[in-house]
Amino acid sequence: MPTPATPRSTVQGETARRLVADMERITMDRIGAHAVENAGVNRDLIASGKTIADLRDAGIGGGDSAIILAAGPSIKRHDPIRLIKERGYDGTIIATDSAIFYCLRNGVVPDLAVSLDPHGGRIVRWFGDPDLTFERCAQDDYFRRQDMDDSFHNEIRSNEEVLRLINAHGPQIKIALATSSSTQVAGRAHQSGMDIYWWNPFYDDPDRPESITRRLWERNRVPLMNAGGNVGTASWMIAHAVLGKKHVALCGLDFSYYADTPYQQTQYYKEALEIVGADNLEEMYIHIHNPHLDQGYYTDPAYMWYRECFLSLVPDADCTTYNCTEGGILFGDGIVFTPLRAFLDKFAPEPTGTRRS
Amino acid sequence: MPDFLKGNFRPAKPVTGPDTSAEEEDLETRFEREAVKRLGGSMAFVAKKKVTWSLDDNES
Repeated sequence: MPTPATPRSTVQGETARRLVADMERITMDRIGAHAVENAGVNRDLIASGKTIADLRDAGIGGGDSAIILAAGPSIKRHDPIRLIKERGYDGTIIATDSAIFYCLRNGVVPDLAVSLDPHGGRIVRWFGDPDLTFERCAQDDYFRRQDMDDSFHNEIRSNEEVLRLINAHGPQIKIALATSSSTQVAGRAHQSGMDIYWWNPFYDDPDRPESITRRLWERNRVPLMNAGGNVGTASWMIAHAVLGKKHVALCGLDFSYYADTPYQQTQYYKEALEIVGADNLEEMYIHIHNPHLDQGYYTDPAYMWYRECFLSLVPDADCTTYNCTEGGILFGDGIVFTPLRAFLDKFAPEPTGTRRS
Repeated sequence: MPDFLKGNFRPAKPVTGPDTSAEEEDLETRFEREAVKRLGGSMAFVAKKKVTWSLDDNES
């Protein structure tokens, strides 16, 4: 492992902030070609399927409120689905791909799931990977290492449970699937009987010359949606801009790590080591105090960028956004930072103890 | 090498070896560049966009 050639003073978050400023380009370099290639490979499924335009008339969920369930560390710490079930919340539940298993193993079928990441081998794990082997698990500690869904620590057994639940409930699940999704994910969604609604992410401004987005749209004529960099933000965007929900709560959109999380458990720990070295890790993480909770969190360049993207989208949203994560760093103008209980007091005021199936 | 080749005079000008610091820096930069490639979000973000149903001029 390389170490810095000369000693350097560590400035907390310095390298991270420099990377955040460049994150749009870094992201496009990392996923752009692969994502567009996936759209090509998925073309037959896309051509024979529905799009998010069809979601507008699909009667997704009840009422004018929605709860987005993502997979940030607050899900494990606060277990929001327990309260959602107790209150018999009858609004719309939208789950990111990473939260589908959390919903299903708690007996809740989300009204809509959302997926977009083009990474083949990793994202399919949220749907159950029929080709997962012990050897592959041994080669990639991505899930084991992180402060994510705890059950992934026993990966093979978890994968079998995910496969079982997805296969059992797939036909009940509508999924807004980005055309950038890998063939593995598209295959699993199709194979398990999910009702697929396709959408194209924006990659650039379609009014610019040589726009990738425009060329993609001309090939598949699928509606375009701003993903905001990640599946949690995309789920929020669908809730208000596609489904027309006026009150959208967020659960599990931490965009950060709890202060007691070791750096080794962060998503890009290995990359952080390679960029700044073990002695300078503080440069790769930004510490932020959440005044609503009077608690500190830290974040990495990618998640900091997600935060910035989300905050820039909020002013133009067609809804009131309630961050009910009860953790993390997503706060600011236009966001009502409030406990989930308070949101449910407003939108599920009469506890019934059961949520409609 | 200095243990095997010991001079018996003091050279008039200091002797310097090839400068390897640029090569070391290139290696470090390369590692960083390769690692940075693996960073990045799950998807692009385009400012001021929400949903566009069609790019045809006669449809919104």
